[in-house]
Amino acid sequence: MQNNKLSRSPGFSGFIGNNTVFAELMVISPVIMCGDTLQNAKALIYAFSAVTFISVIICCLLFRLLRRLPYAIRIMTYAAVGSLVYIPIKLLTQSLYPGALSRIGIYFPLLAVNSLIILQTEARFFKMRPFKMTASLVLHILGFDAAIFIMSVIRELFAYGTLNSRMVSSHLLISGLGAPFGGFILLGLLCGLYRRLSGSSSDIAEKADDENKAKESCDVSDN
Amino acid sequence: MFLITDLLAILAANLILTQALGTSTLFVAAKSRRGLLWTAVNIMLLTTGGSAAAYSIDILLPESAADFRLLLYIAAVGLLYILLLLLLYIISRKSFGERKKYVHLSAFNCAVMGTLLTISGRASGAPELMTLKGYVLAGAEAGFGFILAALILTAAYGRLSSEDTPASFRGFPAMLVYLGLISMAVYTLS
Repeated sequence: MQNNKLSRSPGFSGFIGNNTVFAELMVISPVIMCGDTLQNAKALIYAFSAVTFISVIICCLLFRLLRRLPYAIRIMTYAAVGSLVYIPIKLLTQSLYPGALSRIGIYFPLLAVNSLIILQTEARFFKMRPFKMTASLVLHILGFDAAIFIMSVIRELFAYGTLNSRMVSSHLLISGLGAPFGGFILLGLLCGLYRRLSGSSSDIAEKADDENKAKESCDVSDN
Repeated sequence: MFLITDLLAILAANLILTQALGTSTLFVAAKSRRGLLWTAVNIMLLTTGGSAAAYSIDILLPESAADFRLLLYIAAVGLLYILLLLLLYIISRKSFGERKKYVHLSAFNCAVMGTLLTISGRASGAPELMTLKGYVLAGAEAGFGFILAALILTAAYGRLSSEDTPASFRGFPAMLVYLGLISMAVYTLS
C-alpha cells in the first residue's frame, strides 16, 4: 500500500511511479527503434534530458506571456522552443558522441517535439508550483533515461552478445530483439512487468484502467 | 492482385509498423472509432499538406542553414494545424468543441514530424524522389498507412483491453506485443 501511495504521489510520478515510458507510454519511438545498444542509449539520454529540461523551463518562463493566447499558438510555441534548443544540443552531441547522430537518424530531431514538451507542459507542469514542477520534470526525464537504459542493456546483450560494444557472450543470441518488432515486444513485456511490480496484485486491474484513462485525458487536451 | 500487391507495399512501408512513428498517438486514437477516424483523417491531411511544404523548404533552404529545417517544418505544420482548426470551426461550430481535440492530438507528434523527416531523408539520398509529386505521394501514403495500422489495432483493441487479458498486460502492454507481432510479419514482407 505504501508503494501504491508513492507511485500515485505527484512527487514520485514519472520515475518510480507512473514511469514516463513504461506507464505513460511517452517518447516510445526512439526507445523501440534506437534503444538497441548502450551507445545509442547514452546519446539519447544526454540529448533527451538536455532538450526536454531546457525547453520545458523556457516554456514555463514564457507561459506568463502566452497564457492569454489560444492553446494552438501556445503548443506551436513550445514546439518552436524545442526545435531551437535542439540545435546547440545537436552540435554538442556530435562532439561528445561521434557517429551517434547517423545511427539514431530521424529519432534525434524528433526528441525536440516529444510529448513531455508539447503536451505535458500544459496538461501537467504548468499546474504545479515551480519547485514541484522542476522535481516532477526531472523525475519524468529520469524515468525515460532509466527505461531506455534497461531496454538497451537487455537488447544489446541478447541481440548482439555485447555490452557497450564489448563482446560479453555469444551463447544465447536472439537477433530479432535488435529489430523494431523486438523492441515492440520487449517494451510490451517490460510495461506488463513494471505494472505488476509497481502495485499489489489486488489493485493492478484498477491501476490498469486508471492508466488507460489517465493517458487518454493527458494526451487529448480539451483546451 | 494489384490491390493485394499495393496493400502489401503500403504495409511494408508502414511508418508505424516499421519505424514505430506515432505509436502513442495511435493508442490514444484507437480508444474510440470516432476518435480514430478524426485523428487518422487529420494526420493524413497534415502529412500530405506538410510534405508539400517540406518539399518547398528542402528546395529553398541552403545547406548552411540545414539546422533550421526542423523549425521550418514545425512552422509549416503549425500553419496547417491552424488552417485545419479554422476549417473545422467554419464547417461546424457546434461540433468544434468536441472535434478540435483530435486536431490538437494530430499536429505535433512523431507520426507527422517523423513522416516529413523520413521523406526528406529519402529524397536527399535519391534525387529522383526530389519532386513535389514524390513528396506529396509519400506523405499521403504515410497517412494512409496510419489509417491501416489504426484499423489493425482497432480490430484487437476490445479483446486486449477486456477482463480476459491478465490485468498486468491489459491495455497498452498487450497492444505493444500485438503490434510487435504484426511488425514481425511486416518485417518478413520487406
